[in-house]
Amino acid sequence: MIRLFEIEWLKLKNYKVFWILIGMYFLGLIIVLSSGMFLMQFLKNKGAEFQGIDPTIIPLYDFPDVWQNMTYIATFFKIILAFIVIISVTNEISYRTMRQNVIDGLSKWEFLKSKFVLILVLSAIATLFLFIEGIITGLIYSTVRYPGFIFSDLEFLAAYFLEVVTFLSLALLLSILLKRAGFAIVLIFMYTLIFEPILTINMLHNPWIKDYVSWMAPFFPIRALNNLIQVPFQRYVFMEIQDFIAWRDVLIVIVWLAIYQLSIFKVLDKRDI
Amino acid sequence: MALVLQIENLVKNYGKIKAVNELSLEIEEGCVFGLLGPNGSGKTTTLGVILDVIKKTSGNYSWFGKPSSSTSRKKIGAILEVPAFYPYLSARKNLKIVSKIKGFGSERIEEVLDQVGLFERGDDPYRTYSLGMKQRLAIGAALLSNPPVLILDEPTNGLDPQGIAEIRKLILDVAEQGKTILLASHILDEVQKVCSHFAVLKKGSKIYTGSVDEALNANKSIEVAAKNLDELHIALQEFTHILKLDEEKNMFNLILNGESTSYDLNAFLIEKGIVLTHLSERKGSLEQKFLKILEESDDQTI
Repeated sequence: MIRLFEIEWLKLKNYKVFWILIGMYFLGLIIVLSSGMFLMQFLKNKGAEFQGIDPTIIPLYDFPDVWQNMTYIATFFKIILAFIVIISVTNEISYRTMRQNVIDGLSKWEFLKSKFVLILVLSAIATLFLFIEGIITGLIYSTVRYPGFIFSDLEFLAAYFLEVVTFLSLALLLSILLKRAGFAIVLIFMYTLIFEPILTINMLHNPWIKDYVSWMAPFFPIRALNNLIQVPFQRYVFMEIQDFIAWRDVLIVIVWLAIYQLSIFKVLDKRDI
Repeated sequence: MALVLQIENLVKNYGKIKAVNELSLEIEEGCVFGLLGPNGSGKTTTLGVILDVIKKTSGNYSWFGKPSSSTSRKKIGAILEVPAFYPYLSARKNLKIVSKIKGFGSERIEEVLDQVGLFERGDDPYRTYSLGMKQRLAIGAALLSNPPVLILDEPTNGLDPQGIAEIRKLILDVAEQGKTILLASHILDEVQKVCSHFAVLKKGSKIYTGSVDEALNANKSIEVAAKNLDELHIALQEFTHILKLDEEKNMFNLILNGESTSYDLNAFLIEKGIVLTHLSERKGSLEQKFLKILEESDDQTI
């Protein structure tokens, strides 16, 4: 495992595109996650108010709510991590280094494992980063600072980890299937942000079909991921939200994860590389 | 001698095309084996299969008497088709990855870079290299773990004459250390100069296998010349052991059957009172033999 990570690290550490994408991910997240209160101030100055509430008193960073708020926002950035996986895998195909790695003495499975280790490490770092960012911004803005509150609801971090691992596994599968970075990036981007959302929104809300197909929507791969961490912000206008992780959603995601992993092995097993 | 590689009835089909057809081959330890064949004859496909990057359709192959595995591949240094490296990494860093995969330390990297003449450019990114440098790095990578077996697929592709000579010398040096080398090439001169044994593939089938020396001796020809060529011609026509007689510029080129040698020919001519001004034995070239083998196989298929 460590040897495989070392190999992967040798491949990535001098690769500029990798550092640019990593930089985009963390810089983007830091800017967005740290500026919640400035945004509220900005909205207030523009004269906005939410059902009579002054935006600046909305406790975005209060423990433990900060965890759901942050992980929810962070899920939008996971596509950048997917780009890293896609580029790292499709490069190996177009440079023919995957083939050479196998010739040199890696098994196909070890090669896949090395990419899966990359996925796990990226997801772990992203999760750890959210934890630190949450603690810091929380300690700055939160009105509640009891350890009991700080460290409750950490299951949102676990859910975030699962979501990123699963999404990156999908990216790995698409890279292996499509072999070309551009193609895989466009497809995952369009599917995640446009095709599936439009499809599932139709299934849930289109009056002509919703009675028949709405039950299927939660099983779609991206919908299932999005369901893990639900939108938290309506709670600030006194609406009911799901402020927990539902086991059913976790289960669906784990099944998808298993499907991705199995398909990756199957596709590569059958293929000449 | 122990068998390094054994291939039995190997078949690889791409749809209807038979890229490798019932191929059987044995390579002994210490042998420098040339795999010959025209383009598209299945050389690279065969190598790809025995290196586990192309899935066989049927048949068997084993390395060192065991089924192939990533462990056996670690004992093989191989290049297949074009050199494959990370373009944004330097030669040194690329070789570091190779040694990590092979499970070796990086202590031989400098030695190997020196051996293939890339010591000075070793820190420049791979993408800045010329084709010849890339090819040399690939050979360096194959030599990196000092493996007992080398597989080289067209190793002199893209090299200049000097580079070709260097690589040949490198191969012969390595062969002298008792390593087994499997060399695929369509350059016959190359195989003739470095290989001890060879096989010829055509459309995925093996049509010939044997030792290079035997193949060359079988094609041995003799050149003779005398002051009076007409007399010599008449005398030669009386010598019954000649298979083939050609007149060339100022000399005759002939092939003897197995029953007599140049000694007998010379003795016969002296008896006839003809003194030769030139007598020379020429080994045939592998090229002649190769073309003959292909021709014969054409005849058989018709």
